[in-house]
Amino acid sequence: MITFEHVQKQYADKLALDDLNLTIPTGEFFVLVGPSGSGKTTTLKMINRLIEPTAGIIKVDDRPLQDYDLRAMRLRMGYVLQNIALFPNLNIQENIAIQPESLGWSRKRRLERARALLAQVGLDPDQYATKLPHELSGGEQQRVGIVRALATKPNVVLMDEPFSALDPLSRKQLQDLVLRLHQELQMTFVFVTHDMGEALRLGQTIAVMRNGHIQQIGTGEEIMRHPANDFVRGFFENQKTPRAATVQSLLAQGYGEVTTAPATLTATVTVGALAQALQTQTTVVVATAQDHRALTTADLLGYLAAKEATSRATD
Amino acid sequence: MQQINHILQTQGGEIVQSIGQHIGLSLISLLIAALIAIPLAILLMPHQRAANVALQITSVLQTIPSLALLGILIPIVGIGTVPSIIALVIYAVMPIFQNTYSGLTTIDPDLEEAAEAFGLSRRKKLVRVELPLAMPMIISGIRIAMVMIIGTATLAALIGAGGLGTYILLGIETNNNALLIIGAVLSAALALLFGAAIDWLGKLSFKRAGIVLGVAVVLIGGVAGYRRIVQPQTTITIAGKLGGEPEILINMYKDLIEQDHPNIKVQTKPNFGATTFLFKALQSGSIDIYPEFTGTVLESLVKGQSSADHDPQVTYQRAAKALKSQYQMTYLKPMQYQNGYAIAVTPQFAKQYHLKKVSDLQRVATKVHAGFDPDFYQQSAGYPGLRKAYNFKFGTIKTMEPSIRYQAIAHKRINLVDGYTTDPELREYHLVVLKDDRHFFPPYQGAPLMTEKFATAHPEVQASLNKLAGKVTTSDMRQLNYLVTVKHEKAATVAREYLQQQGLLSKK
Repeated sequence: MITFEHVQKQYADKLALDDLNLTIPTGEFFVLVGPSGSGKTTTLKMINRLIEPTAGIIKVDDRPLQDYDLRAMRLRMGYVLQNIALFPNLNIQENIAIQPESLGWSRKRRLERARALLAQVGLDPDQYATKLPHELSGGEQQRVGIVRALATKPNVVLMDEPFSALDPLSRKQLQDLVLRLHQELQMTFVFVTHDMGEALRLGQTIAVMRNGHIQQIGTGEEIMRHPANDFVRGFFENQKTPRAATVQSLLAQGYGEVTTAPATLTATVTVGALAQALQTQTTVVVATAQDHRALTTADLLGYLAAKEATSRATD
Repeated sequence: MQQINHILQTQGGEIVQSIGQHIGLSLISLLIAALIAIPLAILLMPHQRAANVALQITSVLQTIPSLALLGILIPIVGIGTVPSIIALVIYAVMPIFQNTYSGLTTIDPDLEEAAEAFGLSRRKKLVRVELPLAMPMIISGIRIAMVMIIGTATLAALIGAGGLGTYILLGIETNNNALLIIGAVLSAALALLFGAAIDWLGKLSFKRAGIVLGVAVVLIGGVAGYRRIVQPQTTITIAGKLGGEPEILINMYKDLIEQDHPNIKVQTKPNFGATTFLFKALQSGSIDIYPEFTGTVLESLVKGQSSADHDPQVTYQRAAKALKSQYQMTYLKPMQYQNGYAIAVTPQFAKQYHLKKVSDLQRVATKVHAGFDPDFYQQSAGYPGLRKAYNFKFGTIKTMEPSIRYQAIAHKRINLVDGYTTDPELREYHLVVLKDDRHFFPPYQGAPLMTEKFATAHPEVQASLNKLAGKVTTSDMRQLNYLVTVKHEKAATVAREYLQQQGLLSKK
């Protein structure tokens, strides 16, 4: 369990974190999400002490971080970077085995571990183990980046926007991969992203951050259904993702006729809820802040078709 | 080209030895510089301000002209290999330090963060990540340093450390382009070769590069150590100025001493440098003996008004006395030959007007077309004095470079030149040397010079060298010079054969 108690981080010109309180239960997939400058990466990097707080205490398993030997603690924590940062001079298995090497594992044990991990993430060890990082695609490199963080079977794995530099297809595959790994390994994953869709997809618990404050903590479902404030709601809407898409995004693209008929839904419900309503009614009237609009199955299909086309294009 | 081939054939051994010296000097300096610069850069990596100060200091050292640096070092550490290595190390530290430091400090911050976050120790981080990533920069620094060292090491010849610079200096001194080209081309080739070797070394893994370096160090150290061990108990070092004549003389000294005293080993250092370098080397004890001219002693070495006399005997005595009182040096008796200014004419010109003595020129002064060394033309000991002493004025006079002067007379552009009495060109072009019948030119005689301390400790050496006193005529010397500088025969062979022929050395 990782806890933040009244943690503050003051930079010369800016208060990056202000009275942060947070508990990450052991074994949880915990996602910190927020726009840039929200303090999510600062929070993450405090866990392995790359950044030290100005005030407050961070504890792991009820012991303050300062009580742990720094190197020993870091050797037991996995870390995945946004820019992957494989060591270009080391081959893949040496990259994966860098922490075990520091822990003094035998060469045989290190190589076995590296090969097993490669196999686990779908990279053939015979083919990849002795390649150099630049010979791999971005997606393949980040797979290696992930297994490198898992090499010592750490209790905690920290991931700092690990997929933001990847193409959408690789991103989706790697999201599936970390979900699977989390289920198999039962480690605590702390994952930072600015992408609400990614947060919803991965996080058991999500903390939405803004300007050094946590806006809301909860499951994806809770946050979706009951956003704590306008910022959280807005943050959802700005992130067009299949699961989080609401009727509002559909209306924003010009679907729906203005009508005076009584509304049966509000515009903040998901597209899924609209689809359900359209199974029993030919026209559904939704209420927006300004007026009421009538939506039909054709509107929904048009919206979904356009969305499919754009997501194909970006893939 | 033919001349180059000839030199390569006859002096191959010496050239190979010079290459060896050059490589040894360069590699040792490079190694020491790397051993200073790389750890320093690693040490200063986290301290930017200190690193900047170090960079400033090494840059300033870099700007000291190499000759000035050698000059500063001579009073402190003397002459020879040690000051050369110190100077080369001082030059090589900067590029290696600068490149290593910037290589280490410009590593992708993400990689630094990763290494930090994975809990790698400082040492592990350095060995596994930072040094390998900085290696291309470090290698290129070493490469720059190496090219600089090989180039600058040519100057080591000036202070008696040998190397390929010997040939360059000698080439400049004696206007021998073939020697100059050999020295320059070989040092350029060495730079290329070592550049390639360093690139190859840079491509090897850490461990292998270490092994190769280790082997190189052991080899160089082993050879140096072996040389030291196999040297016999008493070693005498005899050096000579640039040129063929001093080299012949020191080989004569060597042969005579070693014949009489088999337990003494004589080490010769031909082309050791210019007069003042040799004199300082003698004072500091870096060398034991070198041949010096009586006239030069009075003109350049001793203080006071005493100048050369027309009587060679008087000149020698003055020089020996001044050396003894001013520098506590012993100047042994000179050989017979005189190396002074001479006036020579073409054989046709001599025959036509029956010219034998300088005074004979009075009759034909207007028909003389002279080519003079610019120094000779201006110095009072040269043409102006000569003109007064003999009361004549030549028809036309052109000043030209010493070697061109001989070319000009060979091609009959002029019919009279100045020269030195032992110049081999006099023989090469069959020129007629006119007798200085009014004894205008001061006599220059060669004799062994050593410190009093050495002379007292080695009376047996004095005895051996005195065998040469009054021997070797001017024309003999001219012939010997001809064999060495024109025919490119080995000075050691020429000297030995001459001594045997004169009965001074037993035939083996």
